[in-house]
Amino acid sequence: MAEEQVKKHRTPPDPNSAKYKLGQIAAKAYQDAFDAKVRGEKIGWCASNFPVEIPETLGIAVVYPENQAAAIAARGFGQQMCEISEADGYSNDICAYARISLAYAKTKDCEGQQVPMPDFVLCCNNICNCMIKWYENLAKELGIPMIMIDIPFNPDYDVPESEVAYVKAQFLDAIHQLEKITGKKWSPEKYKEVMEYSGRSSRAWLAATATAKYEPSPFNGFDLLNHMAVMVTARGKKEAAEAMELLLKEYEQNHAEGKSTYRGEEKYRIMFEGIACWPYLRATSHGLKDRGINMVTTIYADAFGFIYKDFDDMCAQYCKVPNAINLEYARDKRVKLCKENKVEGLLVHTNRSCKLWSGFMPEMSRQIGEECGIPVASFDGDQADPRNFSEAQYDTRVQGLTEIMEANKEG
Amino acid sequence: MSVKEILGRFHEIAADPKAMKDKYLSEGREIVLVNYYTPEEIVHSMGAVPMGAWGADVKINEAKKYFPTFICSIVQSAVELGMKGEYAGAKAFIIPSLCDSLKVMGQNWKVAVPSIKFIPMTYPQNRKPEYGAQFTKAGYERVISELEELGLPRFSDEKLKASLSVYEEHNRVMNEVSELMASHPEISNQERSDVFKSAFFMLKEEHTALVKELINALKEQKPGTDKLKIMTSGIICDAPDILKILDENGLQIVCDDVCTETRQYRASYKEKATALDSLVSKFCDMDQDTLLYDADKTRIDYIVEKAKKTGAKGVLLLLTKFCDPEEFDAPMIRKACEKAGLSVNIIEIDRQMVNYEQARTSIETFRDLLNG
Repeated sequence: MAEEQVKKHRTPPDPNSAKYKLGQIAAKAYQDAFDAKVRGEKIGWCASNFPVEIPETLGIAVVYPENQAAAIAARGFGQQMCEISEADGYSNDICAYARISLAYAKTKDCEGQQVPMPDFVLCCNNICNCMIKWYENLAKELGIPMIMIDIPFNPDYDVPESEVAYVKAQFLDAIHQLEKITGKKWSPEKYKEVMEYSGRSSRAWLAATATAKYEPSPFNGFDLLNHMAVMVTARGKKEAAEAMELLLKEYEQNHAEGKSTYRGEEKYRIMFEGIACWPYLRATSHGLKDRGINMVTTIYADAFGFIYKDFDDMCAQYCKVPNAINLEYARDKRVKLCKENKVEGLLVHTNRSCKLWSGFMPEMSRQIGEECGIPVASFDGDQADPRNFSEAQYDTRVQGLTEIMEANKEG
Repeated sequence: MSVKEILGRFHEIAADPKAMKDKYLSEGREIVLVNYYTPEEIVHSMGAVPMGAWGADVKINEAKKYFPTFICSIVQSAVELGMKGEYAGAKAFIIPSLCDSLKVMGQNWKVAVPSIKFIPMTYPQNRKPEYGAQFTKAGYERVISELEELGLPRFSDEKLKASLSVYEEHNRVMNEVSELMASHPEISNQERSDVFKSAFFMLKEEHTALVKELINALKEQKPGTDKLKIMTSGIICDAPDILKILDENGLQIVCDDVCTETRQYRASYKEKATALDSLVSKFCDMDQDTLLYDADKTRIDYIVEKAKKTGAKGVLLLLTKFCDPEEFDAPMIRKACEKAGLSVNIIEIDRQMVNYEQARTSIETFRDLLNG
């Protein structure tokens, strides 16, 4: 609720700004789905890393339960939704996004973020296998079909041909299944258009996030946590490409004018690892800002730049998303971001909701710290369940990190 | 040997896998660690001994360097054992990526226990269409090539065919002994567990021979007095304290849906052009499993039907702490069992339990409900 009160006093963003436009795209996705439902069209609930190109090309409206859960958590309704699922027998060890979503499937109501009820679910497990069980349960409880694209965790550095072939066959299957369910038809011309917008959005996103190389960075890294939702869900839309290009322009302009969306003096530059603690966005952000720390990069900066030349290449790109890649590849991507953006410390969110992301992070962060010569600190938290975070622990860990970064500067 | 003597032998093996490992090593055999649904048959056909690595009830110290607390203790304790040298001498560990904890296990294993090579086995979740079978085959071919690189004899489809026969016969006797033990309430739950657990630490032909001895001896033995029949479900069910509490409360496990027990023996091989394709067919035909994509949630129906068929009055769900897949299924299992008139008891377990008093109280209440 504290977050809500703070938001009420904020000045509304400039309607010509990228921030405003990106916010509108995210909000419009929900409205589009409501409108489609009213028109009698079939709509879906879709996993965040399901190939967005498929519903986009088919002209099918979808909403993203992960985004919905994050919004519910950020607006202070996470715990009450989690408790509804727990009362139904779901363990509180299960991902909080899943608990929130399963609760919404039951109550069909949460003022934190309403969504239309689905006619099918689109699942993809390239971020975790937890998605499979979550979506199985949604499909079973709601009595609707489930379309499942399995993108396995790749233990190798490169994507093997056998995996691309397996994934491509599933993409084609998913298209056929969706055509059958919705009555809509796949159009190669429309796909080409989507691919082009996706490429434009991705190039602009990569370039915008890369402006963190400037000192000071022209943006506050917490901006990325909000903007990336558009990259995940809407990058194949014209509006998204335009808004991302505007974002890049703004960041370049900020740099030219010596400005930044980070308010205050940027004394330290860190990489933040993990999903945001949505229920404590303000506390986690202020814990950094109060010490002059700017979170200049996250893996999202690299992860959602989907640039591909054709359908096959697109399949391969989906095999390379974070959480589907091995320790060495995941480490190298982060090392690159740390070096390019002159990162001085790594702050790791050990996220109780995300076993895969957190499960080999102790080793990965050790290796990143060693290779980049930077200190690493971690804190316990959760992406959506407020009961799994301690502000005091966060504060202590960030303070420890700051002291080492300070000593290194004096070094 | 008498039934008691044979069961005693199973217990020795189940309780001391290290002794079995050392025995095989002293005979000059190579050891390859396996768990979940790793293609043991391939390892067997290449002359090595596949040995189960499902962790153990140990305190986790060293592995904490690699895992956050909320990763399942089967995975953590296996890495702990690896780091402490308990698997020393093993050539490799084939780890599948069927759940998130297994995915991270593989990544951590290669750093934490570099002396035992990590061989990934990537299975498809969409395993029913032909492209799923092709991807499974590619995964097996990768395992074969890594084993060959480690110096194991070259793979031969003929040898695999022979191994499939060994495994098929083992499947058959395990299903037979499972049914037979259900009609012998005098066999304790610990003894039943030993029969299943020992299978992971022996060459299958040797285990089959011992199981056949048990079957023959049991057929000569008059069944004991009836007990309260229950079904178990979960990933593991081998904690001696839990099994003892069940025995003390007069509960008999007559069937199970436990990953380390009969789930291992449900699928068989289809006739295909090659033995490797037959092995692929076995995985692709697997169903009713929490680790495998199942939009229809057929595991839940399986549990209800199996319990009814075997006369189990209740289902004991041993929920492995931090096991996402099992935790997602639990509410639906409870609902379906209750609807079918079956009592359900859910106990959270892990490899680090030291106090079983809460479990005891819960099991006592479960017994009372079944008696009522």
